[in-house]
Amino acid sequence: MRPKMAAATAPGPKALPGESGGPASSALSMERIQSLTDLADLEAAYSRLCEEEKVVQEELDALLEQQSTIENKMVALHRMGPNLQLIEGDAQQLAGMISFTCNLAENVSSKVRQLDLAKNRLYQAIQRADDILDLKFCMDGVQTALRNEDYEQAAAHIHRYLSLDKSVIELSRQGKEGGIIDANLKLLQEAEQRLKTIVTEKFDTAMKQGDLPQVERFFKIFPLLGLHEEGLSKFSEYLCKQVANKAEENLQLVMGTDMSDRRAAVIFADTLTLLFEGIARIVETHQPIVETYYGPGRLYTLIKHLQVECDRQVEKVVDKFIKERDYHRQFQQVQNSMMRSSSAEKIEPRELDPILTEVTLMNARSELYLRFIKRRVIADFEVGDAMASEEVKQEHQKYLDKLLNNCLLSCTMQELIGYYITMEEYFMRETVNKAVSMDSYEKGQLTSSMVDDVFYIVKKCIGRALSSSSIDCLCAMINHSTTELESDFREVLYNKLKQGFPATTFQDFQRGVTSAVNIMHSSLQQGKFDTKGIESTDEAKQSFLVTLNNVEVCSENIMTLKKTLESDCSKLLSQGFGGEQAQAKIESCLSDMAAVSNKFRDLLQEGLNELNSTAIKPQVKPWINLFLSVSHNIEEEEFSDYEANDPWVQQFIVNLEQQMTEFKAGLSPVIYDTLTGLMTSLIAIELEKVLLKSTFSRLGGLQFDKELRSLIAYLTTVTTWTIRDKFARLSQMATILNLERVTEILDYWGPNSGPLTWRLTPAEVRQVLALRIDFRSEDIKRLRL
Amino acid sequence: MSMEDYDFLFKIVLIGNAGVGKTCLVRRFTQGLFPPGQGATIGVDFMIKTVEINGEKVKLQIWDTAGQERFRSITQSYYRSANALILTYDITCEESFRCLPEWLREIEQYASNKVITVLVGNKIDLADKREVSQQRAAEFSEAQDMYYLETSAKESDNVEKLFLDLACRLISEARQNTLVNNVSSPLPGEGKSISYLTCCNFN
Repeated sequence: MRPKMAAATAPGPKALPGESGGPASSALSMERIQSLTDLADLEAAYSRLCEEEKVVQEELDALLEQQSTIENKMVALHRMGPNLQLIEGDAQQLAGMISFTCNLAENVSSKVRQLDLAKNRLYQAIQRADDILDLKFCMDGVQTALRNEDYEQAAAHIHRYLSLDKSVIELSRQGKEGGIIDANLKLLQEAEQRLKTIVTEKFDTAMKQGDLPQVERFFKIFPLLGLHEEGLSKFSEYLCKQVANKAEENLQLVMGTDMSDRRAAVIFADTLTLLFEGIARIVETHQPIVETYYGPGRLYTLIKHLQVECDRQVEKVVDKFIKERDYHRQFQQVQNSMMRSSSAEKIEPRELDPILTEVTLMNARSELYLRFIKRRVIADFEVGDAMASEEVKQEHQKYLDKLLNNCLLSCTMQELIGYYITMEEYFMRETVNKAVSMDSYEKGQLTSSMVDDVFYIVKKCIGRALSSSSIDCLCAMINHSTTELESDFREVLYNKLKQGFPATTFQDFQRGVTSAVNIMHSSLQQGKFDTKGIESTDEAKQSFLVTLNNVEVCSENIMTLKKTLESDCSKLLSQGFGGEQAQAKIESCLSDMAAVSNKFRDLLQEGLNELNSTAIKPQVKPWINLFLSVSHNIEEEEFSDYEANDPWVQQFIVNLEQQMTEFKAGLSPVIYDTLTGLMTSLIAIELEKVLLKSTFSRLGGLQFDKELRSLIAYLTTVTTWTIRDKFARLSQMATILNLERVTEILDYWGPNSGPLTWRLTPAEVRQVLALRIDFRSEDIKRLRL
Repeated sequence: MSMEDYDFLFKIVLIGNAGVGKTCLVRRFTQGLFPPGQGATIGVDFMIKTVEINGEKVKLQIWDTAGQERFRSITQSYYRSANALILTYDITCEESFRCLPEWLREIEQYASNKVITVLVGNKIDLADKREVSQQRAAEFSEAQDMYYLETSAKESDNVEKLFLDLACRLISEARQNTLVNNVSSPLPGEGKSISYLTCCNFN
C-alpha cells in the first residue's frame, strides 16, 4: 500500500510553476526574459521572479502539510474494501428473493381473480335460483293468501313477482320443468288479475260504506299491483265524496242562517273558507300515506282530482252567493249609475259596502288556498324530481301552473274580482262626492272635513282591495284612486281656488257692499249659486284659505298613503302572494300616485300666487307708493323731525303686520311661510320701483338706509326665509345713496369689492347715483365701472 | 330624477282580444323570445325595456294586459296613465278585427285624450289563414286616425319597428308638449292643463 500512496502523492511536488500554463506560472515569459538587454530591466525581472519564487515556495509548503491527512483517509478507504464485497453478495440474494415473491404474488392474485369471478357467478346463480324459488313461492303464496283473504300478503307476492327480472321467468320456462312453470305462471297471472278485481271491488264497497280504514287498506294495495294512477284516482274519488258531503252540509247551514247572525254578512266567504279548510285538511292528513305507499311526486295527481270537486263546490257556493246577494244585479245597477249622471236612479254606495267586503274576503281565502296547494305540490315535486332532468322539472311546473291558473276556482274568482273593481270604484267615487258635498269647516281648524273624509275613503277602498290578496286587484284600485284624486278631487279644490280670494276688508270698507254683490253676480253667471261663497266676504276668504290648507294636506296625505301602502304591500309580498313582477307592478302604480302629490303642490303654488297677487299686492303696493310722498331730499331739520315722527316705515310695518295676522291665523305654518316669502319678494320689487322714482339728499340717503334696516329687521322676524338675499339689491342701493361723493363708489367696486358681490349692473349703479341730487351727472358719467 | 339612467319614460299598454298575440309581441321585443303554447295572461304583465334613440335613453314600461273579458276592469284602470296604446288584432281572426270599434270606445272612455294609439295586425306568418285584408285594416286605421302596422311576433317581423317607431313618436310628442307648456306659463286661476307627459320628461 505504501508505494501506491507515494505514487498518489507524487503529482503534488511535480506540479511546478512555470512548467505549464497553470495558474502559478510566472508573469514573465521566457522569451521576454531572453529579450531583455538592459541591466535595470533584468534586475527588475529578477526581483519579480524572486518574489514569485517566494510565493510558490509558500504554496508548496501548504500542500505538503496536507499530505498526512490525505494518507490517513486513504488507509480508511482501503479498510472498507472487503465489506463492500459482502454487501454486493447480500444485495444479489435480496433481488432474487424479491423477484421470486413477485412471481408468487402474481400467481396468487390471478387465482383470487378467478375465485372472485366464480363467486360472482355463483351469487348470480343463487339469485336466479332464489328468484325461481321466489316465483314458485309467490305462486303458492298467492293462492294461499287469496284463500285466506289476506290481500296484503297476496299483493306482496304479486309485487314480488312483478319486480322479478323478466329474463329469469323466461329462463325458468326454458328449463326442464318449463311446462310446470308455464302453468304456474299462468296461475300467477290469473291471481294477479283476480286480486286487481277484488281490490277494486273491495275498495268500492268500502268507499260506499264510508269505511275509511278499509279504504286506506285497499288504497295501500294498489301500488303493489302497479296501479298507482288507478289507486290515486279511486282514493280521490272517495275524498271528493267526503268533500262534497261536507260542502253540501255547509251550504244547507248557510241557507238556514239567520240574517242577524254575527257572520251573516260574510257567510259565503265563511262557507268557502270551510270548503278550502276541509280540502287542506284532507291533503294534510293523507299526504303521508300517499308519499309512503306511492312515493313522492304523486301529490299533484291527487290534488288534480280533488280540484275538480273543489271547483264543483266553489261553483255551487258562488252561484248561491250571486243569487242571494244579487251580485250581478247590483253590478248592473252600478254600471247604469256610472253611465247615466242623473242622481235619482243611483245606487246608494253604502249598500255596496258589505258585499264588497265579502267578495274581497272570498278572494283572499281562495288565494290562500291556492297558495297552500301550490306550496305543497311544489315541495312534493321537489322530492320526487330530485334526480329528474331539468326538462321534467319544468314540465311538472307547467302542469301545476296550468292547474292553478285554469281551474274554475281561479276563473270564478277573477270574474268576481272583475265586478268588484268596478263596484269599488263606484263606491269610492260616490262616497268621495258625498264627502265633498257634505264638506264642513269648524272654526279654529285649518282644514275642512272633506280632506280627512276623502282620504279615509280612498284608504278604505285601497285597503279593501289589498285585503283581497290579489295584486292585480290592488293595483287597479291604486290606479282608480290616483285618477279619483288627480281628476275629480283635485278639480273640486281647483274650482274652489278659482273663485278667488275676495277683496280685503280694507277695500270692502272703501267699496262698500259692491264687492259682495259682484261676487254674487259672478256666481250667478257661472250658474252656481254657492250660498256659502257669498254669505260674507269673510267666509269666502276663509274658504279660500281653508282650501289652500286642504290642498297642502292632500299633497302630504298622498305621500303618507303611499308609504303606508308600501309597507302593507311588502307584508303581503313577503307572505308569498303575487307573481314575480308583483313588486314592480305595485311600485309603478304607487309612483303614479306619488306624482299626484306634486300636482297638488303645483296647485298650492298657483293658489298662493293668486293670493299674493289679488290680496297682498293691491294692499302692499299703495302702502309702498306712500314712500313717494315722503321727501328724501331733506336737510338736517327734517331729518331730526323724521327721527321724532317716523314718516313712513313704521306705519308700513304696522299695516303689514295687520294684514298678515289674518293669514297667519288661517293658514298652516308651512303655507304661511311660503306666502310671507312671496310677500317679501313683492315688497323688495315694489320698493325698488319707488326708490328709483325718488330723489335723495345725503341725509335722505341716510334716512332711507334707516328705513330699509327697520323693514328688514321686521321681515326677518316674520319669516324663516332668508331676507337678506331678497333685499341684497336694495341694501346695495342704500349703500350707494349714502356715499359722501361719487368717486367713493370706487372704494367698494371692482377689485375693492371685497366679500361684497354686487347685484347691480354698472348702469344701475349710475342710475342710483343719479338719484342723489347733490351728485353731478358729469362725475357720474366719468366714473369707470 | 337624474339618478335614473334614462332621458324619457313612457308607459305603453297593449290591448285587444284574447289570443291575438299581445304577450308574444311583448316577449319578442323585450326578451327576443317566442314562447309557443303560452297560457292566457292573467290580469296584467309588466315588462321594461330601455332603448336608445338618437343617443337618448328611452325607458319603455310595457303593460301586457289580459284579453279575456273578466279582466277588463283591471286592464281599464291602466288606460289613463298610458302614453301609448297598442291595439292588437289577429289577421287570421275576423272576430278580433270586428271587436276593434268596441276597443276604441273603451279607449275613448278611459284613456287620456293625448294618448297615441297604434293598430297592430299580428300573425302575418300565417299568411294562408289570413281573414282580414291589409287594405281593410289600413282603411279602418285611417278613418280612426291611427298609425297601423302588421307584425309577426313569431318571425320577429316589424316588432322592433313597432316599438321603436312608437318611442320616436312619443319623444317628439313629449318635446312638443314641454314646448307648449314652457311658452304659455299658466295664469293662476286659469285652467292649467296638467300635461300627462310632464312626469315622464326629465330633459
